[in-house]
Amino acid sequence: MKKKSQEEIINMIDKIPEEPAKKGEYALAEMMALADAHEVRDDDICFAGTGLPLMGLMAANMLHAPHALLIYESGICDGKTMNIPMSVSDQRACYLCTTIGTSEVDTFGFYLQRGYVTLGFLGGAAIDKYGGVNVTCIGDDYYKPTHRLTGSGGNADIGTLAKRTVYIMLQQSRRFVERNDYTTTPGWWCWDWSTKKWRPKKEVWANTPYAEYGPSAVVTNMGVYRFDEEGVMYLDTVHPGVTVDQIKENCGFAINVSRLNGETPHPTYRELYVLREIVDPERIYLSAIPDYPKEIKDIIWD
Amino acid sequence: MREQTKTKKVEILSLEEAVKKYMHDDAIVAWGGFSSYNRNPTAWVWETVRQGFKGIHSIDRHGGFCTWLLNAAGAQKIHESDWDGWGEMAGKLDVNHIRQFKNGNLMLEEYSHGAMQMRFLAGALGIPFIPYYAPIGSDLYNPEYDTLGRANMRTGQNPRIPKKKFDSIKDPFYDEGTIMLLPAARPEIGILHVPQVGEKGTARWRGIGTMDKELVFACDKVILTCEEIVPEAELRRNPESNQVPYFVVDCIVEVPWGAYPSAVPFYYDYDAEFMRKGDAASKKVEDMEAWLDEWVYGPKEWKEVIKKIGTEKILDLKADELTGYSRRIKRGQNPPTRMTMPVSVKRVGF
Repeated sequence: MKKKSQEEIINMIDKIPEEPAKKGEYALAEMMALADAHEVRDDDICFAGTGLPLMGLMAANMLHAPHALLIYESGICDGKTMNIPMSVSDQRACYLCTTIGTSEVDTFGFYLQRGYVTLGFLGGAAIDKYGGVNVTCIGDDYYKPTHRLTGSGGNADIGTLAKRTVYIMLQQSRRFVERNDYTTTPGWWCWDWSTKKWRPKKEVWANTPYAEYGPSAVVTNMGVYRFDEEGVMYLDTVHPGVTVDQIKENCGFAINVSRLNGETPHPTYRELYVLREIVDPERIYLSAIPDYPKEIKDIIWD
Repeated sequence: MREQTKTKKVEILSLEEAVKKYMHDDAIVAWGGFSSYNRNPTAWVWETVRQGFKGIHSIDRHGGFCTWLLNAAGAQKIHESDWDGWGEMAGKLDVNHIRQFKNGNLMLEEYSHGAMQMRFLAGALGIPFIPYYAPIGSDLYNPEYDTLGRANMRTGQNPRIPKKKFDSIKDPFYDEGTIMLLPAARPEIGILHVPQVGEKGTARWRGIGTMDKELVFACDKVILTCEEIVPEAELRRNPESNQVPYFVVDCIVEVPWGAYPSAVPFYYDYDAEFMRKGDAASKKVEDMEAWLDEWVYGPKEWKEVIKKIGTEKILDLKADELTGYSRRIKRGQNPPTRMTMPVSVKRVGF
């Protein structure tokens, strides 16, 4: 197997078939990153944090959404990276970008608050049934929590000011909750502390430009979820090999499964190839990747 | 009353002299750079810890190497921030922070990233507060969650701590709903690491700015550590590339590699391996103390820290002139690939 040059690796993309891979031929992280990638539209202006969201976006750029524009939280706009950044502040993200901006006033003011961002890609430690997310702390007492997490970072800003937000996270019943211990980023309904009732975001944010903005999807290691007209989460697709019962067992609230729309598509061989050989060949984010099947290996390594 | 006149005559000091002169216990400090990846003034915080300063109150855009080290040494008492991490992919959560917080040694006052940025903008603009739309409905604006208020520090006695954590207003001009009001950030001391400073104080960086520009105007005392002090005239040939006018700077310290392990674009890249090792050490108190002995209290000067890194690593970290980062340093399981053109540009242009 002769080692290929970067040139050859790139030219190979279109030769890899767009057939779906089979279970066992891809890692869970790859499935999640690519399910994330499917949420990107070609005309999107996106914000993404580092990790799976960034990988998903970069893959989308090479495949079905080549014109989707990525803005990094540090202010870098439309960086055309050659080596995957490890941070939104990584200089690698600046290569051939349109502007870097002087400061994050650009990022959070001119781009986000001004209304340019159509898609936010975020993570979450826990989520409520309205798409409100917790990245701050777990426990009953904010001042003495059971677990401290990192805190908002840009999550609270992006999750409320971007037109649509897609969350990517692990699914467990303690993470999919009726109401968060701490709501860092409100979803379609906001908890009112004085009346102890939920109020629709539309009402709390009435007359602001962001009243209709909010979470549009949640991608987990078990399935993909969306939000109905009332702003309530429902199950859209289950990942291959996952059952609806397993979904219910791993959800801390009564999840609506009546709108189930089949299985999440397997990643295609071409998508896996792009992720492995072009997006993260250094294996910073991906690990324990299964081998390609023989037919694909034969094409790649001829 | 805030110090309104800002014209200053800059002094050039050694790292040791400058930290001795400007730092003090309970200082309210803002640190430049982004997480632990970009232009953190690490040499300054290293020397601060060595000189034994305590009770530091950091107002940050988010945690980074500086706050991580202060937490490791137990030197930080209050952290106004929006994110208590540092190493992102190489060590996301600041374990030292968690430990100090759980032990009751550290107070945390939280905002979101955009809000913190706007607080610094207000400070830089000289206004007492600024409106910002995010995010109503978050527990960040839950009136119960006010750490400094709870500690009875919002009495107005300290002019740098606002009497309220936040407020809100209904837009009186365009009827665009309720908007939050955030108090200006007013740190006493701001420290940034930049690549080049002229001997009068004009400063320039390349790559991202994060919040450094606002920091320089929001803080009363401004210290720049730098890779090199250059003749002032050289920076004035391309003034549109300069971010800091000389008259806001109090002190310059030349300390090459003074941002290690973070990156200085076009000088050197970040050292992810070093961060991972630091993160691993932080998991146990004994390991963290051993790490501090080895990297902070042991070396006699910053240059010795850099020499400890080793020639091979230094050579690999050195940034490429054209890209501003290193295409040799190994960051993951495999060495980096070399491309001549980003793939998306090759396939569809810009």
